[in-house]
Amino acid sequence: MKKTQYTGVIREYDMHSVSVKVGYGFIIFLCILMAVIALFPLVWVILAGFKDLKEFMSSESLLPNSFDPAPFILTWEQLGIAKNYLNSLIAVVGSVICAIIFNGLLGYGLGILKPKGYGIVKKMVMLSLLLPTTISIVPLFMNIQNLNLGNSFVPLWLSYGANAMYVILFVQFFEALPHSIIEAGHIDGASQLQTFFHIVLPLSKPICSVIAIFAINATWSDFLLPYLVLRGASMQTVMVRLFVFSTEQTVNADAMMRSVVFSMIPPIILFFIFQKQLTENAVSVGIKG
Amino acid sequence: MSNKKSVLSSRAKTMEFAKAWLIMLPSLVLMTFFVWEPLFESVRMSLFKTRNVELISFIGLDNYVSVMKKDDFLQALVNTFSYTFWSLLIGFLLPIVLAVLIGETRRWRGIFRTIAYLPNMLPGLAVVILWSNFFSGGKTGVLNILLSHLNIPPQTYLTRAEWVIPIIILVATWKGAGATALIYMASIAGISPELYEAATIDGANVWRRIIHIMIPAIKKLTGTLLILQIISVFQIMYEPMVLTKGGPDNASLSLMQLMWQYAFGGAMNYGKASAVAVIVTIILLLMTAVYSYFNRKESDWE
Repeated sequence: MKKTQYTGVIREYDMHSVSVKVGYGFIIFLCILMAVIALFPLVWVILAGFKDLKEFMSSESLLPNSFDPAPFILTWEQLGIAKNYLNSLIAVVGSVICAIIFNGLLGYGLGILKPKGYGIVKKMVMLSLLLPTTISIVPLFMNIQNLNLGNSFVPLWLSYGANAMYVILFVQFFEALPHSIIEAGHIDGASQLQTFFHIVLPLSKPICSVIAIFAINATWSDFLLPYLVLRGASMQTVMVRLFVFSTEQTVNADAMMRSVVFSMIPPIILFFIFQKQLTENAVSVGIKG
Repeated sequence: MSNKKSVLSSRAKTMEFAKAWLIMLPSLVLMTFFVWEPLFESVRMSLFKTRNVELISFIGLDNYVSVMKKDDFLQALVNTFSYTFWSLLIGFLLPIVLAVLIGETRRWRGIFRTIAYLPNMLPGLAVVILWSNFFSGGKTGVLNILLSHLNIPPQTYLTRAEWVIPIIILVATWKGAGATALIYMASIAGISPELYEAATIDGANVWRRIIHIMIPAIKKLTGTLLILQIISVFQIMYEPMVLTKGGPDNASLSLMQLMWQYAFGGAMNYGKASAVAVIVTIILLLMTAVYSYFNRKESDWE
């Protein structure tokens, strides 16, 4: 089996023609151009981070005068970003656990157990996929207020336990699992819950890792609900802090750019670690992503 | 499902079903609290006069009337359609073109694919702030620095009513186009190369193969992604919120942003905010219905 089969429309024999060769060169050129456009803003924002305020406001060059990391360290310490990183970490860890457990259990019920009446729930989950999520932010916020859950990470964590997209992904994956293994567990006298944790979840590492990556990235990037829920400055995540900076304009433009860099570092690291899973599996998941 | 076995087995089955529902219960409670109930609550709240988080009195459609009567509503409605228009113009074909281009490369394909996807991983808010400096007016804005090398004098961008919406869409496209391209790429890679080769024997050149084989193969996916793109861009909110605050002079104010302003912009008028949210939902449902009407032959969502 060949690992990467070439599936392009331009076949090997076409390459003998000069005009196709020129066209292919043009394709490569356009792809390189795409790469430059995709990467340029990242390179530029890091370069901008090396400039102090005076240079940032006056320099008409993209390159900084020096590559001294001192401005980064200063901003990190002055704004106390470490605290925000910690808060984001708390938000991410809880959200990922909730995303796997609660969506996984619902997916288990709808994909494997299928008790009488499950069809209606499955339809409702599918339908909620189509409905815009931001629309319910107002009543959701009111619910959270009414239950006195404000200023806590708990509602944020739990909100990731109710994600229609993740449920559907679990259902699709579970339905494709070999039924005999699950039945076997059942005969051994394992309860349904034990079967889930001891048999189904260990078999589901691929889908769990995809959902974990998505949940990590979504929690890290999220700021609307966290902004409303985590009002106390001591609980702000990195993105909430950035949102507050941008709405209240309490920091200088140069420190703002460095905060942007700080907020991008973890997703970029995550991206390069899981690059393969993301660009391959993300495709099937991406539609709603 | 019909299980007419022994009584014992059917009782055992009922127990199993009950346990299965019990296992799903916590998740169902969460779905209800975070997804389903807020949806109904949105509709209910839009019919009430509200004070903070309290519903004061039922006022029928008054919230809708007073929201629609204000000038900013019409402006936001027009702007939201304008966002959708520009998004289709700039952001619809680009991922398809990218997918075709990257799919044709014989070298570095993995690298191109990775780079194309990268912007999608970055936090949306950070991306918007980043680009706001790119488009900032004056001599130190990045775009103006780049233009100065071409001897073009510094321009302003985000303060021009006619430019803000296309610029905001450009930013959103920069972030999202690569990820969408990967979806198209997967679909295009699924076409058997034998089809191209057979077409070649029939005398089809590269262009004809693209038009007669590749394009028809991704047609259905294109329709699905089109409607998803419309649904998502119709809810555009934080991009204009952060980039332009809806300005200049409401030129980039979107419907969802208007909703946010009613709710969290100081007025705390949750009733009116919900009215705007419901209007957006209705428009989106209508568009989805129209789409599935025209697409009913192949209406199964992949």
